[in-house]
Amino acid sequence: MSTTVADLHDHHEDHGPAKGIGRWLFATNHKDIGTMYLIFSLTMFFIGGAMAMVIRSELAIPGLQFVHPEFFNSMTTMHALIMVFGAVMPAFVGLANWMIPLMIGAPDMALPRMNNWSFWILPVAFSILLSTLFMPGGAPAGGWTMYPPLILQTGDAFPFLIFSVHLMGISSIMGAINVIVTIINMRAPDMTLLKMPMFVWTWLITAYLLIAVMPVLAGAVTMLLTDQFFGTSFFLAAGGGDPVMFQHIFWFFGHPEVYIMILPAFGVVSEIIPTFSRKHLFGHDSMVYAASSIAFLSFIVWAHHMFTVGMPLTGQMFFMFATMLIAVPTGVKIFNWVATMWRGAMTFETPMLFSLAFVFLFTIGGFSGLMLAAAPADIQYHDTYFVVAHFHYVLVPGSVFAIMAGAYYWLPKWTGHMYNETLGKLHFWASTIFVNLTFFPMHFLGLAGMPRRIPDYSTQFTDFNTVASVGAIGFGLSQLIFVWVILSAWKGSRATDRVWEGSHGLEWTVPSPAPYHTFETPPKARIAGEAFE
Amino acid sequence: MNDAERKKGIRQTALIVTAIAIAFYVGFIMIGVLRS
Repeated sequence: MSTTVADLHDHHEDHGPAKGIGRWLFATNHKDIGTMYLIFSLTMFFIGGAMAMVIRSELAIPGLQFVHPEFFNSMTTMHALIMVFGAVMPAFVGLANWMIPLMIGAPDMALPRMNNWSFWILPVAFSILLSTLFMPGGAPAGGWTMYPPLILQTGDAFPFLIFSVHLMGISSIMGAINVIVTIINMRAPDMTLLKMPMFVWTWLITAYLLIAVMPVLAGAVTMLLTDQFFGTSFFLAAGGGDPVMFQHIFWFFGHPEVYIMILPAFGVVSEIIPTFSRKHLFGHDSMVYAASSIAFLSFIVWAHHMFTVGMPLTGQMFFMFATMLIAVPTGVKIFNWVATMWRGAMTFETPMLFSLAFVFLFTIGGFSGLMLAAAPADIQYHDTYFVVAHFHYVLVPGSVFAIMAGAYYWLPKWTGHMYNETLGKLHFWASTIFVNLTFFPMHFLGLAGMPRRIPDYSTQFTDFNTVASVGAIGFGLSQLIFVWVILSAWKGSRATDRVWEGSHGLEWTVPSPAPYHTFETPPKARIAGEAFE
Repeated sequence: MNDAERKKGIRQTALIVTAIAIAFYVGFIMIGVLRS
């Protein structure tokens, strides 16, 4: 486990990939592991997406149509767990595995065998989680937040849920350790911290967030487990425990988790916008400080998720203003992206289109977040579809669009072939239209008072729900275009090493596709030049 | 930085961040123990 990349690469500079399944089972190469993460993430995206289809089909018209209410609750719970821990987070870890060593001029991740473990724990964790669908009592249905005492009513699935969450946490922590250790110790000789690309910076900050908060989630679910099976009363009021304490601990993890899913997205977009604007990133250092500020603030805002639970007025004021403060560094980022594009020679290839949509639509999610941060207003919005609209705007045209943008941007470097630009643009426009059709009406539903997590609703909410369901099915089908683009990329024209005319950075100095081993010798000579910038 | 120094740095950084992770895990359970 403690084997470092220096050990593995001492005598193996010239070998290629292993043959057969062993290449993947025992993979230590960052590119292979990155590929596995990305494929896993896409698979989970479709499984979680199928659950979203069940939810939206049920909600297309009032009344109970297809599923029992209990199963509906399982779908909302599992959809969230799978999308957060199985799709979005592993996708960013996949991008990190592929790109961080290439961007900093390292031969691999610092701890390659631990990297292998980090990945292979995930399919086990999600097999366990998905197996709960077939257990007596059904899959967990108490929401992804796992609030006691409701979650303690889960049937046989309960210990499996806790075990799978633990495994996901261990995987994330090991991945984060690897990222930190790699960035701190494996950078090319002349690459100082402030010369690192923004994607690397945002991932370094994200990794510290993961190190701090994933153990907190693990601690919380460990206490749930002991409450259920070992007679403790951490969260059971009957035994002198405090159910609200779980919410505090959960959201101490949960809010930084939001930034774990968005900071790497900021990093991806900060790579793409300069490339297609043919300019350097405006205010690189201020972007670093803004990301660090966001990470710091994410630790002191958790109770804005709990305004309706009841807390002293001073507490409400503190968490409200601390939350609103996050708009400042986020505004710095939005400003810098716009300033990067200002008077740039812009072109609108698919990665740029997804990045631009990210800037616009993530900002909508940010603004609705500001509305929710206002404690008096939040008491009205809480647990309504307005909240669902808010976090889906942050996570889908936010995180997911950034992942799509990154995939299109780096696909030619990974495969050595250009993807079909027409299909890419078709995917973009279909996704953008349908994502808005799905989630924008949810703002109105929430403001009109429609609660979250219900399988049936009053007839006054019908029209917007029908529109949202049509949009969701359209969005789901649009993602099949993405799969086709990836599969057909292998038949595309050969990519050049630099791929994009305006690209900068070390990853574009290696051939396309990136060879199995890169930067065996640190890129000392080249980095004095502009490759870093 | 030579290979030996790099290996030492990798192990030191890995140990420090692992210790931080364990401290958060144990620390929050201790908060639970003290509060319940």
